[in-house]
Amino acid sequence: MLSFILRRVAQSILVLLIVGAVAFSMFRFVGDPIDNMLGQERTIEDVERLRAQLGLDQPFPVQYFRFLQGAVQGNFGVSFRQGREVSEILLERAPATIELAAVSAVFAVLLGIALGVFTAIRRDGWVANFIMSASLIGVSLPTFLIGILLIYLFSVELGWLPSFGRGETVDIGGWSTGFLTATGLKALILPSITLGLYQMTLIMRLVRSEMLEVLRQDYIRFAKARGLSDRVINFRHALKNTMVPVITIIGLQLGAIIAFAIITETVFQWPGLGLLFINAIQFVDIPVMAAYLMLISVMFVMINLIVDLLYAFIDPRLRVTGS
Amino acid sequence: MKRLVSAMALTSALAAPAFAEEFKFAVTTDPQTMDPHAVNSAPVLGFLNNVYEGLVRRGKDMTIEPALATSWEPIGDGEGWRFNLREGVTFQDGAEFNADDVIFSYERASDENSDTRSWFAPVSEVIKVDDFTVDIMTSAPNPIFPDSIANWMIMDSGWAEANGATLPDKEAGNYATLNANGTGAFQITTREPGLRTVLEPFDGWWGEVEHNITRAELTPIQNPATALAALLSGDVDFINPVPIQDVARLQGDPNVNVIQGIEARVIMLGFDHQPGESEAGQGGADIFQDARVREAVAKAVNVPAILQTIMRGNAEVASQLVSPAMRGYSEVAGAPYAYDPDSARALLEEAGMAGATFDLKCPNDRYLNDEAVCQAITGMLAQVGLSPTLDAMPVQNYWPELRADNFDMYLLGWSPGTFDAEHPIRFLGSTPNEEKRLGSWNFGAYSNARIDELLPMIQSEIDDTARQAMLDEVATIMQDEYAYVPLYVQPLVWGTRSNIELTQRPDNFFILRWVTVN
Repeated sequence: MLSFILRRVAQSILVLLIVGAVAFSMFRFVGDPIDNMLGQERTIEDVERLRAQLGLDQPFPVQYFRFLQGAVQGNFGVSFRQGREVSEILLERAPATIELAAVSAVFAVLLGIALGVFTAIRRDGWVANFIMSASLIGVSLPTFLIGILLIYLFSVELGWLPSFGRGETVDIGGWSTGFLTATGLKALILPSITLGLYQMTLIMRLVRSEMLEVLRQDYIRFAKARGLSDRVINFRHALKNTMVPVITIIGLQLGAIIAFAIITETVFQWPGLGLLFINAIQFVDIPVMAAYLMLISVMFVMINLIVDLLYAFIDPRLRVTGS
Repeated sequence: MKRLVSAMALTSALAAPAFAEEFKFAVTTDPQTMDPHAVNSAPVLGFLNNVYEGLVRRGKDMTIEPALATSWEPIGDGEGWRFNLREGVTFQDGAEFNADDVIFSYERASDENSDTRSWFAPVSEVIKVDDFTVDIMTSAPNPIFPDSIANWMIMDSGWAEANGATLPDKEAGNYATLNANGTGAFQITTREPGLRTVLEPFDGWWGEVEHNITRAELTPIQNPATALAALLSGDVDFINPVPIQDVARLQGDPNVNVIQGIEARVIMLGFDHQPGESEAGQGGADIFQDARVREAVAKAVNVPAILQTIMRGNAEVASQLVSPAMRGYSEVAGAPYAYDPDSARALLEEAGMAGATFDLKCPNDRYLNDEAVCQAITGMLAQVGLSPTLDAMPVQNYWPELRADNFDMYLLGWSPGTFDAEHPIRFLGSTPNEEKRLGSWNFGAYSNARIDELLPMIQSEIDDTARQAMLDEVATIMQDEYAYVPLYVQPLVWGTRSNIELTQRPDNFFILRWVTVN
């Protein structure tokens, strides 16, 4: 088990280094940050001086090496746009994204599994058929469109929910939370639905098909023959055995929820990491882009690691091969 | 006695405003710093105009009016300007304003680390005469100097020194990046970059209060559809800009108003005037060195049609590099180039350039509907027998391309920082000269000896009539030579809730002290 973890950690570090190298080689195609940092009356002299001060006149392997040097000491540099420590900005923005992702994930997992089981058990009922058809919307409509539609319906037309932002937040030891105020909770509703809808339908469809598969198995038939109640058969025996692929997907999708919160955050002006990243791209704020990309890749690598470990926990067969 | 107390309570209740007038405004770009000398850009200077003040300021009609200086007059024969400072002004932290703060702010704003340095290029020395008189000496007579420093904001020397912010720091930031201490009508109470900035009226402000705001909150909203929804739902009271395509819809909504005007920014086409290889290659090298080809372009582009379709009638045709609202606009220089495709075709035949291929560079996120405008132009040029290839890109990639001379023709917008016709001549009309800092945005290296000769004379001419005559001459030369093809003045479209009254200024600065919430 230990060697398994060590091997995975070593692989993860390699992945991170490659991601960083690719990112840095791309940055010079994003544009020139100097144009945004100096006004229209700047001279070529000013441009060259600032470029040298920021180290942008160096070739990209040198820039990348300097970034890594700082990063291993926890120093991600200073944002070109805000003139503040990148780590400070990331810490300030992270709670918004994590809270949004957590609520979306809970929404997607709970509703996804519940609807998946329901549509599998009642697979010919009209309610189940309706849910299945409606779920196509969640899969096929792009996120920004769903977001804008929800805003127009619930904010502009009905006036029930705020159209943008996080509402009021309460600061607890540096963590700003929107869970403790009425406006904060209201502000979470539309973005969470927008962000989690795709994952919800995905989980639902997966649970349904896995469940239908399992329900055909012999041991379910035997369980029925033994006279076990439907509840025990469906939830203890069938659902548990559908969980291995579902957990893989949930794990990967959790990463996706955080990483691709970018679009939802832009539509709802949600002050999280995704919005920060979009602003950083527009401004060619290289330190922020680099730190964000590294953070996201660390997160994906960690999630994959955890998912692998969870397999071993759920499926005893993998435990044997693992050790 | 009891009655008296309750009567007093009643009067004080009546005297205080019944409701706190809260005003929420949304803009696309969050001001990137609170330091008035660190970044010379409209979002920063426009916002900080509410917090900091200069010696002079611009009124509702853009004229210069007294602010921290009560009056000013030229010294001698144009050796400089004397500013008489306002007495009894305090900064928001309570410190007194005097000549030392002006000297300090001059040194700070003209430092190598400041982005506002170019404003002080004509200044040779700043002298404190007494606590409330300052002489700003210029190396040559400078008639428009007071106009050119309307955005030079005065910072308290004591505050900056106490907080280690005596110079702006663009790379790492300092105390003044996040905090502000001006003499203006509003002070910043909360600053969360990219999230919200809260302003409250400064009780000790010297001026007469016109607004009725008790609290103002600035939120950046990047996505235009979200900003529009926020305005329609009443979550914000003001958005800038309103997407052009939504103007008609908003006008039909009784709860919101659309406020339209024209900005100071003129959108134009620029050419590669330098000899050298054409970007598109094959047979089209140096086509724009021939004035007949530039003339053909001017005649082939149907600007009114572009404005009608792409701008939905919200912009005005331009004939010069400045809009008519600017000082020094030439009434003499002719009308806009007329649309005349037949004559354009004839000119191209004559020049032997029919079918010439070239490259049109265009930004796709810098100006209103910029890419759509370029597409229309590409089509119009094709109709008269040219073969342009449109290459549109985000603005961060655009400037490096132009600087590297990778273009034959390009789209440019220019907003004169001084609101004077001299400004575009300095940056776009002069032969590029790094040493003299001239022509730094003249990417196509347009060059005319007479203009280069006139510019220093314009800069130092005290007499308005003589100065205007020279500006007229430059405008006429540039028009006759088809140096650039001015297209239109970019529209300014703001949206507000219908209970808001405000004043729109052509520099697109949003001035909070002119806002009334009804």
